[in-house]
Amino acid sequence: MATPVNSGNVPVSDTQSSTLADPRYEGSTFQYSMLLEHLIGEKRPIKDLNPTVMGGLPNPMKTDDQKMIERGMESCAFKAVLACVGGFVLGGAFGVFTAGIDTNVGFDPKDPMRTPTAREVLKDMGQRGMSYAKNFAVIGAMFSCTECIIESHRGKSDWKNAVYSGCVTGGAIGLRAGAKAGVLGCGGFAAFSAAIEYYLR
Amino acid sequence: MDPEKAQQLAAELEVEMMADMYNRMTNACHRKCVPPHYKEAELSKGEAVCLDRCVAKYLDLHERLGRKLTELSVQDEEMMRKNAIGQ
Repeated sequence: MATPVNSGNVPVSDTQSSTLADPRYEGSTFQYSMLLEHLIGEKRPIKDLNPTVMGGLPNPMKTDDQKMIERGMESCAFKAVLACVGGFVLGGAFGVFTAGIDTNVGFDPKDPMRTPTAREVLKDMGQRGMSYAKNFAVIGAMFSCTECIIESHRGKSDWKNAVYSGCVTGGAIGLRAGAKAGVLGCGGFAAFSAAIEYYLR
Repeated sequence: MDPEKAQQLAAELEVEMMADMYNRMTNACHRKCVPPHYKEAELSKGEAVCLDRCVAKYLDLHERLGRKLTELSVQDEEMMRKNAIGQ
């Protein structure tokens, strides 16, 4: 704190408290306590704190609406929704693409030489695309949500956030197939995340 | 000294005190929360959270220490006056 405390005594004529009213006490010292009360104690004035007053660069104050919107856009839920939608689109594209290069569509065991009809092919592409899209959306949302939560908790922004949340996501996915698959999923996804983070940073 | 003079003096010192506190707080929180490798202009989520916590802690600390300092100052003055009277 910046209040300077010098050791010199400043004689004052007015007296306030009971000890000061004592006639033997002449030349009271500078009452730092009173000054401090006005600066940092009970009697300090209520101020509107903004950077302009305190010596920062003056900038126009953000409105409450703007602050709310910005807070919403930075929130974990919004990021998770964004990742979900992105995952859905990516998964859909990926699924349709793999359905396109798959040769087993419309395979009839009784007649192996039959070419599948266009309707069958399209239906298969649609189903596959949808299934991949849903999977990717869920994985993306989970990863993004856990990463955001872990980063908020740690208060730091480095590569370890992605690794931890990769482990959590992979573990959650793998846990449905047993504990060992959970551990394997954790390790695999964490390694994948680490590689991506290394590339990105 | 009377409360009027104390208030005036406090008002003068106030501005300097707030500016100094703001500068120190900015420096301290920047040193703690923002690692020196800048990859983008925006503050990331982790850094923003860290800065919120840093500012809250700094202001809380400022207030508590201020109260304690005022208490100790009052006690100190009482003691000095009693000593002066006793002589």
